[in-house]
Amino acid sequence: MSFHEKSAWVMGAVLLAGAIFYFKTVTEMSAAMGEIAPPVLPLVVAYIIAIIVLSIIGHVLIAITKPSEADDTMDERDRIIASRAGSFSGVLLGIGVLSGLGGYLMNYDGNQLFHIAFGAMMIASLGEYASKIWHYRRGV
Amino acid sequence: MAKRPPITNRVKELREAHGQMSQAALGEAIGVTRQTVIAIEQGRYSPSLESAFRISRLFGVGLEDVFGWAEDAG
Repeated sequence: MSFHEKSAWVMGAVLLAGAIFYFKTVTEMSAAMGEIAPPVLPLVVAYIIAIIVLSIIGHVLIAITKPSEADDTMDERDRIIASRAGSFSGVLLGIGVLSGLGGYLMNYDGNQLFHIAFGAMMIASLGEYASKIWHYRRGV
Repeated sequence: MAKRPPITNRVKELREAHGQMSQAALGEAIGVTRQTVIAIEQGRYSPSLESAFRISRLFGVGLEDVFGWAEDAG
């Protein structure tokens, strides 16, 4: 498994954990309030810091397991896979953001718009790493 | 996902005939990672034309001596 594929697994796992943490917290807050909770800056900051810290730890660990490949630059196959995954991710982000905007036009709930847009960003990133793993496993 | 082209190759055979060259050494010689060489040998990746030429020149054979088109697959 190449460094880039391992990196995709690490980032996928980190982003999934982050998304679960974020939406679990928002769901609990919303349940307590009886309506969709507003975006809370400390929660967003905590999410971003957790993602950064966990991804650094993950990459250090995979670099330690095979130091010779840790500084692996992207070759032609990596670039093709990154390009396809990025394209897929862009489609997911677009669908998510448009869904959020559509929802806003229906009920003018800015909190809902924020969470859907933020969620779309998470899903797009998860989709990007899932697509990378798919292409590394199944071929290009 | 697009259907993979029916491209075959003799990279593994030529590499082994070339003094048991390692996948890492071949990768380094043509500018790709060892994992990409593995993917090429397993038919999971068709290299760029540039890499295909680099491989054939490295082994001192023609392009069609390394890569082929599976006739029965169309």
